[in-house]
Amino acid sequence: MKLIYSELQKFLPDLNIEPQKLRDDLTMIGHFCNFYEKIDDQIVFDLDIKVNRGDCLGYYGIARDLSVLYHLDLSSTDYQCPSSNYQLPIVISTSNVTRVMAAKIVHLKNGPSPSWLQSFLKLHGVNSINTLVDLTNYIMFLYGTPCHAFDTAKSTDHLIWEMNPKYTEFTSLDKTVLKVDPSVLMINSPNRALSLSFWGGEFCAINNSTTDTIVELAVYHPTTVRQNSRLLKATTEASIRLEKSLDPNLIPQAFQHLLKLIFENCGGLIGSQVFDYYPNPKDIQPIDYDFNYPSLYSGIEISPDFGINCLTKLGCLITDNQVTPPSIRKDLNISEDLTEEIVRFYGYQNIPTNQPLAFKEVQNITPPVLYLIDSLKDQLVDLGYDEVLSWPLTKLPINPETAIYTQNSINSEYPVLRQSIIQSLQNQLDQYSRFKLPTPQFFEIGKIYFKKDNLYQEHYSLGIYHPSSNQLENDLKKLNLTATVTNNFAEIILDNLESLPTYVPQHLATQAIELNSQIITLDANIALDQPQDPLTLINQYQNLIDPKILWSISIIDVYQNRYTFRVNYYNCDDKTAKKIHLAVFKLEC
Amino acid sequence: MKLEEIKLEIDSCQTSTDLENTRIKYLGRSGLINAEFSKIKTAADPKAFGLELNKLKNDVENLITEKSQTVESIINDKQKSGLPAVALAKVGHLHPLTATERQLNEVFRKLGFSIYHSPEIVTDEYNFERLNVPSNHPARDMQDSIYIKEPQVLLRTQTSTIESYLLANHQPPFRAAFPGSVYRNEKVNRSNHFIFHQYQAVVVEKGVTMKDLIGTMDLMFKTLYGPEVVVRYRCKYYPEVEPGVGPDMQCFKCHGAGCPLCKYAGWIEMGGSGMIHPNVLKKANIDPKIYQGFAFGMGLDRWTMAQNNISDIRTLMGGNLAYKPNK
Repeated sequence: MKLIYSELQKFLPDLNIEPQKLRDDLTMIGHFCNFYEKIDDQIVFDLDIKVNRGDCLGYYGIARDLSVLYHLDLSSTDYQCPSSNYQLPIVISTSNVTRVMAAKIVHLKNGPSPSWLQSFLKLHGVNSINTLVDLTNYIMFLYGTPCHAFDTAKSTDHLIWEMNPKYTEFTSLDKTVLKVDPSVLMINSPNRALSLSFWGGEFCAINNSTTDTIVELAVYHPTTVRQNSRLLKATTEASIRLEKSLDPNLIPQAFQHLLKLIFENCGGLIGSQVFDYYPNPKDIQPIDYDFNYPSLYSGIEISPDFGINCLTKLGCLITDNQVTPPSIRKDLNISEDLTEEIVRFYGYQNIPTNQPLAFKEVQNITPPVLYLIDSLKDQLVDLGYDEVLSWPLTKLPINPETAIYTQNSINSEYPVLRQSIIQSLQNQLDQYSRFKLPTPQFFEIGKIYFKKDNLYQEHYSLGIYHPSSNQLENDLKKLNLTATVTNNFAEIILDNLESLPTYVPQHLATQAIELNSQIITLDANIALDQPQDPLTLINQYQNLIDPKILWSISIIDVYQNRYTFRVNYYNCDDKTAKKIHLAVFKLEC
Repeated sequence: MKLEEIKLEIDSCQTSTDLENTRIKYLGRSGLINAEFSKIKTAADPKAFGLELNKLKNDVENLITEKSQTVESIINDKQKSGLPAVALAKVGHLHPLTATERQLNEVFRKLGFSIYHSPEIVTDEYNFERLNVPSNHPARDMQDSIYIKEPQVLLRTQTSTIESYLLANHQPPFRAAFPGSVYRNEKVNRSNHFIFHQYQAVVVEKGVTMKDLIGTMDLMFKTLYGPEVVVRYRCKYYPEVEPGVGPDMQCFKCHGAGCPLCKYAGWIEMGGSGMIHPNVLKKANIDPKIYQGFAFGMGLDRWTMAQNNISDIRTLMGGNLAYKPNK
C-alpha cells in the first residue's frame, strides 16, 4: 500500500520524523516498508500490510499506530452533515451485509477533479475519473473502507442489497462482462443489476453530467467478498479491503468526511436522510489481562504503566484487570494479542539477541529411522556416491491401482507421486546424460507413496545408481544391504530395516556445481620412455590444467609405456578445451 | 620376505600394470626372489633354504595368476561401464541441502533438540486448522496448495505442519528441530518451484520467552552466516504464533544501503517465528497457562543456492547439479 507522508500528517499534524526513520519504525511495529521515494515533491512509502490488519489498509489505521509509537495526538474530521426528510427506499435482503450507510445528494456539479485529488490518486496508481468518483476512492484510501456512488438518474433510489436473484451477467465499470451466479452479492434496482459488492457497474456509472447520486459505504461478510472475487477472478482495491475484517463503527466517520468533501468540491444539497443499516452491532468482549504478561512473555522488564499507557492510547478501555479493545482492532481478541501490542510498541529491538536457550536434557523424540538415514548417507558418501534430490512427482504410475494422483497441480505433466525412487533417479540419470556427465555414481533417500485400503502411505526409500553393476553389488554388501540390482539401479525400503538407536552425522559440508553446459571429454595418447606409475602421471597432468575448467582426469588404457588419458573439461567451450588439451599433452593438431 | 606381505601387495593391485610391476619385482630375472636364490650357497642348510624358496616362488606365481583373473574382470567391467582403468579415488558428496540441514541440526542438537519428521501427505486439519489458520486465509486457496483429495487431503505446504504432528503426539517439555520438503502449487521456472525446503525449530516448556526465541534464532543465524551477521527482529503476523517475530538479515550485498537484491529495503526477510499461539497449544491439549512455546522457520533453498553459486532454483533438484569426482 502506498502512503503519502503529507497525507499522513493530516491525521497526525505533529508528525515530524525523518522518512528513513519512519520507514524503519513502521517496519519494526509490523508494517513492513520496502522503501520510500520522492515523487512529485511528495514522499511516498511502500507498505506491506498484513492480512490481520485490515484497519491499516487506510491512512487512519496507520496513523493510529504511529500516534501510539510517537505519543502524538490523532486528529479527526468533525462534521455533521445536514439532513432532509426523504427516506431512501433501500432494501437489504441478505445477512451478508454487516452495515450500510447511504445518502442522496442532489443538484451537485460534477467535473474534473482538483489537482490535489488527481495527484493523490496518481500516487496510488489510480486513474482520475471525475470529482465524485475520485472522492469515493480518496475516502477508501483514507479509511480503508470502500465507498461507491450511483447515478440515480439511471439507477433510481430503489437500491437492493441481495444475493444475485436472477442475473446471469454483470457489466463492470470498465465494461468487463462477468458471468455471475446466485452466490454473488449484488446491489441492484428492482429490474437491473447495478453493482457487485466490490465493483461498480457500467449502467449507473457516475460521469461529468451526473447531478443526483446516492453515495454509500458498506462492510460485508469478508468471506463472501473473498469467494465472489475468486469466483469472478476479479480483484479491485475494494475487494482487497472488503475481504478483511473492517470496522463497521468506522463507517460514520468516513461517511461524514465523504459528504463534507462532496459538498466542498461538487456543491449540491442533501437529498435524503442518512440511511444506516446496522442490525447487529457486536458487543466487544473485554479480555482478562494482567499487565505483568508483557514482561513474562518477552523475558525483559516492561513496566505495567507502559502497557496501560500504550493500550489506552490505542483506544482500549481498561477497568479492573480487563481490557476492551476498540472496534477498529478486529485482531485483538485474546491476552496474547494485547501483549504483542505492548511489546511491539516497547520495541522488539530492546530484547537482547545474545541469550539463546541453554542446553537442557529433555526427552529424545528423534525417530530412529532418521539416524539410519544419516548413517547410510555418510556411508554412501564414503563409498564415493553423490547425493541427489529429485522430483517426487512423476509422469506415469508403476501400479495405477495404488498410485496417488494430484488433483490440481499446475505442473499437470507430472501428476503422480512416485511409487519407486528409481523412477526419479532414472530421470536424474537421463539429465546427467544430457550434460554428458562422465560415470555418474549417485543415490537418493526420499519418500515413495502408495494408496492402500484408502489410506495414503509413505515410506523412506534408498535408491542407488552405479555405472558398474558389479561394483554396486559389492557396495551393497559393504553396507549390509540386500537388494536386486537392475539396470545398475538398486532400491531398498528403509522402513523395513532395523533402525539405529542413535547416530551423529559425520559429514557436514559439501560443494556442488551448477552445470550450465555439457562436459567436454577429450582423450590423449602419450608414449613415455619407460613405464611409470599411472596415478603419479594423473597427478602430474592434473596440475597442468586450471581447476576452474578441469572436471576430472583419468587413464583409460595402459599398454607397456603407452598411456591413454581421458580429460573432462567444464565451464569452457569446445575450442578452448581443445586448445588447452593439445598444449598440456604436447599434441599436434 | 614373508608370503603374507607379498600377498597383501598383490591384493592391492587394481590394474594389470600394477600386477605386472609386482610380478617383475618378485619374480623377474632381477627380482627379489631370484636374488634370494643366490644366497643358497651361504645358507646354513642350503637344501631346506632352497625348498622353502621354491615353495615361496610357486605360491607367489599362483597368487599372481589368481589375481590376474580378478584384475581382468575388474578391467573388463570398468571398460564395459565406461569407468577408467586408473583414476583418482572417487569422492562422494552430500547434497547441499542436506549439508545445510546438518549444519542446523548440529546447532540444535547441542541445545538438546531432537530431530523430527512427519508425513508429507496431510489433512487440512494438520496443515491449517491445528495451526490456527482461519478458513478465509489466502494460504487455504486451492491455487496455493497441491491437493490429493480436495479439500481434505493435500501435500503439506509448510514445515509448521510437522509442528502440528509434534504437538499432537508428544507431551511437553520437548525441543525439536525439523527440516522438510514442502509443496506449493507453483509453476516451475528459474525462481519458483513446487517443492521448497524449510527448516523449523519448536520448543514447548514452562517459562519460555521471546528473549529465548530471539537469542536462539540469532545463534542459528550466526552459525550459518558468521558472527558478523546483522539481524533485526520485528513484529510480524503469522496465524500460528502470537506475538509474531520476523527476522531480517541486513543485506549482505549493500549492507543496508538498499539495492536490487534486497528490493531497496536494506534487509532481507529470513523467515518467520513467534510464541506458539495459545489456540495451537489448546488444539493439542496442551495447557497454555502451564506451557509456553516458540517456533521459528526459514527457507533453505535461497541460502543453499547462494552458498553454492547456484542461480536457478531448478538446479537443486535437477540433473545439472553435480560434484567434482575427485579432490
